[in-house]
Amino acid sequence: MSIYLHNITKKYGATAVVDDVSLEIEQGELFVLLGPSGSGKSTILRMIAGLAPLDGGQISLNGRDVTHLPPQKRHTGFVFQNYSLFQHMTVAQNIGFGLEIQKVPRAQRKERVEELLTLIEMQEYGNRLPAQLSGGQQQRVAVARALAQKPDVLLLDEPFGALDVKIRGQLRQNLREIQQRLNVTAILVTHDQEEAFELADKIGIIDKGRLLEIGTPDQLYRHPAHRFTATFLGNANLFNAQRNGSTIYIGEKRLPAPPNTEFLAGKPVQMMFRPEEVVIASASHPLDGNVFGEGIIESIAFAGALERIAIKLDPSGELIQALISPEISRQLGLRPGDAVKIGVKNFHLLPLE
Amino acid sequence: MKERNLSFGGILLLAIVLIYAGVLLLAPVLALVSNTFQNGFEPFWNAITDGEALGTLWLSIRLAVLASTFNAILGVMVAWVLVRHTFWGKGFLNALVDLPLVISPVIVGYVMIVLFGRLGWLKDFPIKLAFSWEGMLVLTVFVSLPFVIREIQPVLSGMGKEQEEAAFTLGATPWGTFWRVVFPAIRHALTYGIVLTLARSLGEFGAVAVIGGGTQGSTESATIYIYRSLNDRNYAGAYSMALLLGIISVVILIIMNNLRIHKRGG
Repeated sequence: MSIYLHNITKKYGATAVVDDVSLEIEQGELFVLLGPSGSGKSTILRMIAGLAPLDGGQISLNGRDVTHLPPQKRHTGFVFQNYSLFQHMTVAQNIGFGLEIQKVPRAQRKERVEELLTLIEMQEYGNRLPAQLSGGQQQRVAVARALAQKPDVLLLDEPFGALDVKIRGQLRQNLREIQQRLNVTAILVTHDQEEAFELADKIGIIDKGRLLEIGTPDQLYRHPAHRFTATFLGNANLFNAQRNGSTIYIGEKRLPAPPNTEFLAGKPVQMMFRPEEVVIASASHPLDGNVFGEGIIESIAFAGALERIAIKLDPSGELIQALISPEISRQLGLRPGDAVKIGVKNFHLLPLE
Repeated sequence: MKERNLSFGGILLLAIVLIYAGVLLLAPVLALVSNTFQNGFEPFWNAITDGEALGTLWLSIRLAVLASTFNAILGVMVAWVLVRHTFWGKGFLNALVDLPLVISPVIVGYVMIVLFGRLGWLKDFPIKLAFSWEGMLVLTVFVSLPFVIREIQPVLSGMGKEQEEAAFTLGATPWGTFWRVVFPAIRHALTYGIVLTLARSLGEFGAVAVIGGGTQGSTESATIYIYRSLNDRNYAGAYSMALLLGIISVVILIIMNNLRIHKRGG
């Protein structure tokens, strides 16, 4: 076990910004803490690095209890959102800073710095000052600086937040490659679910200081255990329902229960399906899959490769979001105001909170 | 191509600025120089090599250097606390830093006499502050207090504390972090603040005249010497010392301008 958090808590006054969080992360894993701003995810990272003291709980890194150690003795590498390079030092001096503090001999230090410059593909930039670099380059240097002393864990606090979209994508790939090549355990904090999906071996969902659930991106997207997860990771259509026997009752409608949901039998539940699971057919045509209901198309919007369609359910007036390929939309001749049949390919049940 | 043709309004504005600068800055300097040398170079030389005059200049320089050293060290500490810490009364303390700029130095000098004079409330204070050079030093420190603090504060708050935290996670102690990370970042601002402090200290008159009493040969600074020479109709002495102080100020101004360029250049 590389990282082990046991019931860690942080309070500001009476409110807990980190509320009893426990977590285990395997060696070499890239773990993403995902949550909205103010959810306490950065504070967790700062607690691991020793930059924010704990009000309770325990932290171990590689089997070493670091709960009461200062940041200097924790062997973490920290990457900040705003890079935080030392402005008066060159790139090479920045990367070698920690080694210099540890009094690593000059020749050895130089070798390690070269190695890291190669790793981030910036061999020619060793003598530049941070102010002469682009944001993306600065962040690569910050990563190299954090890795210089071979830390037990690499901690990244919204590392791509200040960069524009295109560079962000590139840097994500770079980071993933570096992290896998060095097999270093890493925790990345972000509020961007796309980033989490692209990078994470596992994602932990944080809301209001609590760690709601942990899973692979796929698990969390398809089978979330919490309504918050369902809505935070992409769009979700949610309906209150009841599971009785092997049938789901959604108001008047009945659908066969999905497998592995027996534990929800007899309880109020929520039925969830993603917009891409929605099928649409004209009112006069048959529909394959489970018929969910009928409705009127409220709006059709271009969404890149797909069309985003909002349908007003009849008679309840609830809105259903659907993603349909433009060809199907054209075949059916869909227009706002049309009456359509709505089907659902797959759906998921989660407990009502 | 740059637009070179000035409109009438532009010319008028330029003229006002030039006249303003000429009347307020250039004319006094010219008057001073011409008065100093109206009888040739020799009276000037005699005046500034006069033992008594040199003594007063030496006192002024000593006060300015000591006050600047003190305010440099204390100023960094105060700026640090005001930027990095939160505590009850911080806003009040921050406002208090500007007090020396808004209170008349003469009043401060008088208050000091009331407190530390022979009949003052604190007359048993172990260091004699009234009518002594130590008292002049305390007041010089006071009147030049805000400069270093106000120069460093924005730099510290602008750099944020992430660089320091990054240094911590890389193994640097707080003390090591200050010297390797923070000090290089505030160095130019600190130097600039020290230069301002020096200039302000050298030119101080009211406060040091009141607290020191201007006793010849002991508590008479260069500015007090100028004042006394004018009263004694020793015009050569007054003009010469004034010119000398003026030259020192100009040198400081030039250093300051160079530093400002540095500061802008990062």
